[in-house]
Amino acid sequence: MNHDIRSANRRSTVLWVLLLAATVFTWAVGEGGSGGAAIAALLLGVAALKGAAVILDFMALARAPLLWQLITLGWLVLVCALIGLAYWKGMP
Amino acid sequence: MKYKSQAVAMPYFIAAIGLFVAQIVFGLILGMQYVVGDFLFPEIPFNVARMVHTNLLIVWLLFGFMGAAYYMVPEESETELFSPRLALAMFWVFLIAGALTIIGYLTVDYATLAKYTGNDILATMGREFLEQPLLTKIGIVVVALVFLFNITMTVLKGRKTAISVVLLLGLWGLAIFFLFSFYNPTNLVLDKYYWWWVVHLWVEGVWELIMAALLAFVLIKVTGVDREVIEKWLYVIIALALVTGIIGTGHHYYWIGTPEYWQWWGSIFSALEPIPFFAMTVFAFNMVNRRRREHPNKAAVLWALGTGVMAFLGAGVWGFLHTLAPVNYYTHGSQITAAHGHMAFYGAYVMVVITIISYAMPILRGRACNSPKAQVLEMWSFWLMTIAMVFITLFLTAAGILQVWLQRVAEEPMSFMAVQDQVALFYWMREWSGVVFFIGLLAYVASFFVKGKEQPAGA
Amino acid sequence: MRAACPPLPAPRTPPTLAGDLAIWIFILAELLAFGVFFIAYAFARANNPELFAAEQLALNRDAGAINTLLLLTASYFVVRAVHAAEAGQSRHGARWLVAALGCAAGFVAIKIGEYAAAFSAGISLSSSTFHMFYLSLTFFHFMHVLLGMVILGALWLNARRGLYGPHNMNGIESGAAYWHMVDLVWLILFPLVYVIR
Ligand code: HEM
Ligand code: HEM
Ligand SMILES: [Fe+2]
Repeated sequence: MNHDIRSANRRSTVLWVLLLAATVFTWAVGEGGSGGAAIAALLLGVAALKGAAVILDFMALARAPLLWQLITLGWLVLVCALIGLAYWKGMP
Repeated sequence: MKYKSQAVAMPYFIAAIGLFVAQIVFGLILGMQYVVGDFLFPEIPFNVARMVHTNLLIVWLLFGFMGAAYYMVPEESETELFSPRLALAMFWVFLIAGALTIIGYLTVDYATLAKYTGNDILATMGREFLEQPLLTKIGIVVVALVFLFNITMTVLKGRKTAISVVLLLGLWGLAIFFLFSFYNPTNLVLDKYYWWWVVHLWVEGVWELIMAALLAFVLIKVTGVDREVIEKWLYVIIALALVTGIIGTGHHYYWIGTPEYWQWWGSIFSALEPIPFFAMTVFAFNMVNRRRREHPNKAAVLWALGTGVMAFLGAGVWGFLHTLAPVNYYTHGSQITAAHGHMAFYGAYVMVVITIISYAMPILRGRACNSPKAQVLEMWSFWLMTIAMVFITLFLTAAGILQVWLQRVAEEPMSFMAVQDQVALFYWMREWSGVVFFIGLLAYVASFFVKGKEQPAGA
Repeated sequence: MRAACPPLPAPRTPPTLAGDLAIWIFILAELLAFGVFFIAYAFARANNPELFAAEQLALNRDAGAINTLLLLTASYFVVRAVHAAEAGQSRHGARWLVAALGCAAGFVAIKIGEYAAAFSAGISLSSSTFHMFYLSLTFFHFMHVLLGMVILGALWLNARRGLYGPHNMNGIESGAAYWHMVDLVWLILFPLVYVIR
């Protein structure tokens, strides 16, 4: 059991570092000042991946029943997709 | 009956049912006046009948809530009521004040009534639902404070359960928000702004807590499901109700001169208001499905389940229908509002009060439940009233859609009164549904007098 | 817990939700509220991309990014606290919770600074649709951070008393799930409101 916890700790630590890196990446793109469809899609995709990591690992939904995984990940995908749709609609 | 003092609930319940009958009589008069304009004129003008109809509704629901609290709190706290004498005294004060007010509405014209009751000292009258003369309003506050004192002291000296805490929270909230009925700024926008703090924050805020507590109490009793499970649901429901309902007030601030951001806030938060009502539906059915005993009072179980369904339909579905700002732009103040108002009030608060009465009244009369014959009649009344209300709602919705179309959307909009003529057929059908509702109500009253083989108390 | 518990925790073979069903229902409602708010923002922006972009550029992206880092770190610390409790080291977990609370306090401080700057620049709910969304969304989230901190504080008190352990995870897992939800919605809020143009 303790072995399991140690490996869970290691996995969460790796994810945490990756999440920090992804945040810095998003920030750097913002500072770069560029916009446009591709950048918007990229940043939304990064946000969705970060969200998925938090949902599956931090919130421990990876070991939850399938229904709950579908609901939470479904929320994430739906929200990001609709945001993407709105941005696409608002393109000049 | 576990505690002697629970008996004070009985007069409250009887008064509630009596006033309910009167409310519906005035509903029928109103419905008639919609299609036969001078019906009962000049004895009872439309505006007076409307005022009596809505005020009676509020007053009898308050009687119902107080009776429910007097019945539930001793049992939840496992102690006698702090002061049954006080409770009985307040009953008479409230009943007499209420009766005098209604007599005032019906016999004196409103302006004269205002003059004699001190409206020029502090002007609070003339606003929908809050038409009561200043004296009556003060009377309501006094009764409410004494009532709350009585109930709170009982809870404090006894066992504290989630149900009684939520109930207390709701009842205190009810009293506190009523205080805004004394605040009547001359600026019409501000007047409306705070008016909704009474009306909206009642039915979509603190009353929801009362409703959840009543429902939870009855469900514990009739299903025997663990208190822990029921309390968990209670917390979820009240958290959801408050999170969505408080800012949801914004759905009344779209077009009254308030800042534009209310269109966003109101739409977003009130769009979520159906969730707590849905949670209540799931709660009621879930508990009944997991029941650990078959309670002999089938009628009470039926009312509890009915409350879950009809509250969600009336408040959740019919509320959502017109709650988004772009939709409300067209439907505001139309018959769609009236359709929603009727089904929501009936489905949530009328039905939950009948649920507790249905559960408690046989026990107060010394038996676990009524005879099968009486219960069958009561269930008939359930179906008659509920189906009639569904039809009232549907006809008003149809009238409302037509009204919005002809008056506000069409290429060449018609005037208000011309449109009313166009939808008169629906008003006739509403009136006939109202008659069925009234028959159902009479059946309900009759069910109290049906004899038959009864089960002894003790369940 | 009861004395009849087995000495070793049974491995969690059947999939289970970490935390109480009630808190998860609540989390879903919260996610729905935030989701609707985000989507409303995106569609409102579509009507006026130029205005949104111009005002968005004036936001303090550094503050937003640092706050993201703080929330993520707080979340990670909470994960460590849960794992510690699962390993039977509730008191050790309490220290992770203090660290998480520290990060959350940092978030609050930075956010207050941002609001102060916005108000002194004359930004209000009525100054533009973008500012209405910026203030409403971040403030709605801010209130959730405060509530989350109260919950973390309660977990800390319990953890310090050694209350949590492999047989009593419900409380700490429920509180942790709520905190992660606060983090999760910010992960979308930050790019949406501060960065994506
Ligand atoms: C049991 C709960 C509820 C009751 C008793 C109730 C009752 C009422 C009543 C009587 C009115 C008319 C007020 C007036 O203008 O005189 C009204 C208006 C309104 N209600 Fe409710 N309501 C409930 C729940 C809800 C919910 C959950 C929603 C939204 C999802 C909602 C949305 C609205 C809206 C948008 C209006 C304004 C209609 C207009 O602009 O004319 N209501 N409600
Ligand atoms: C338990 C049953 C009933 C409840 C809870 C109830 C509730 C209400 C409420 C809340 C209002 C104010 C609506 C608003 O401001 O939009 C109202 C008005 C009204 N009610 Fe009822 N009512 C009931 C039964 C009836 C019945 C049976 C009828 C007639 C058949 C009726 C006819 C009317 C009419 C005509 C109005 C005036 C609508 C207007 O001003 O345009 N009601 N009622
Ligand atoms: Fe409302």
